[in-house]
Amino acid sequence: MEVNFSQEWESVERELLQTANMEATVQTNAELAAHPFLSEMSPHHLEVLATAASPKQFAKGEIIFRAGKPANGFYLIEKGAVAIEGSVFEHGAISTDCIHAGEPLGWSWLFPPYLWHYDARAVEPTTALFFDGEILRELCKDDLTLGHELFRRMSQVMVRRLQASRARLIEALK
Amino acid sequence: MENLSASHPFLAGMSAHHIELLASCATLKKFAEHEVIFRIGEPANGFYLIADGAVALQDWISERGTITIEMLLAGEPLGWSWLFRPYRWHYHARAIKPTTAIFFDGTTLHHLCNQDLTFGHELFKRMSEIMVRRLQASRAKLIEALKPQKGVW
Repeated sequence: MEVNFSQEWESVERELLQTANMEATVQTNAELAAHPFLSEMSPHHLEVLATAASPKQFAKGEIIFRAGKPANGFYLIEKGAVAIEGSVFEHGAISTDCIHAGEPLGWSWLFPPYLWHYDARAVEPTTALFFDGEILRELCKDDLTLGHELFRRMSQVMVRRLQASRARLIEALK
Repeated sequence: MENLSASHPFLAGMSAHHIELLASCATLKKFAEHEVIFRIGEPANGFYLIADGAVALQDWISERGTITIEMLLAGEPLGWSWLFRPYRWHYHARAIKPTTAIFFDGTTLHHLCNQDLTFGHELFKRMSEIMVRRLQASRAKLIEALKPQKGVW
């Protein structure tokens, strides 16, 4: 009996790849469900969000994004910490904020001009989930409840950060 | 009231139907110079669109007394605390000129947002944009304040 090894191998490869993809998806879903920013989000929304998510790792000191560059999505920090920094020509970087594990990072992808407003730098070895802004926008267009849910959660964090930033400003002005 | 709402920059491009919904929970408010609009810790029961005048967001610290955190001018919205727990004002707001504002009742708004998702989404989207702009402005001020003073060495 003639066995076509090459065909058989291809099908084994395909199967392995599918299993790996499925495992990656399952893992991403579990990661998403575990993140505080997404707590109590519906399983359907988590599934949809997972299609826009990819895991990222940053070394200590690594730049995650730079002011003025296109803002193409947002991050959920899983481990580590990220400093938001502004560069002042004569003084180098000044940190305004530290984003910790369990928090989202990045709003500039939401509004024109869609450019990062500050630098973000990992100040510890950092693991994050990145959500592609273009895919997210499409998903939100198709499902208004997802868009609304995301904006509601994001604006809550925005208000908290705004209050924290003003508190630091008051502290600095004392 | 509908005309006044429609002409406010915060609502530019909003659909006639959404403007109508907003108008249904709007009332016109006038504040004299120095009048307090809301106080820290009091229940936050809605938000304002400033139509005329200017409002200072203020905090009080024992070392310095009243400190102005931000100045909000005509054309801007005022008040986010009605959106989230604990639904209490985080700052004082004081009119620093004679001020006219449209007040939107939070309880009615929450109800309308739950009934009409596109309306809720539209409102949150517009508010988020202002929140982000104010956050960026606040960080810029912080950087300015944290900069080492010139002539230190």
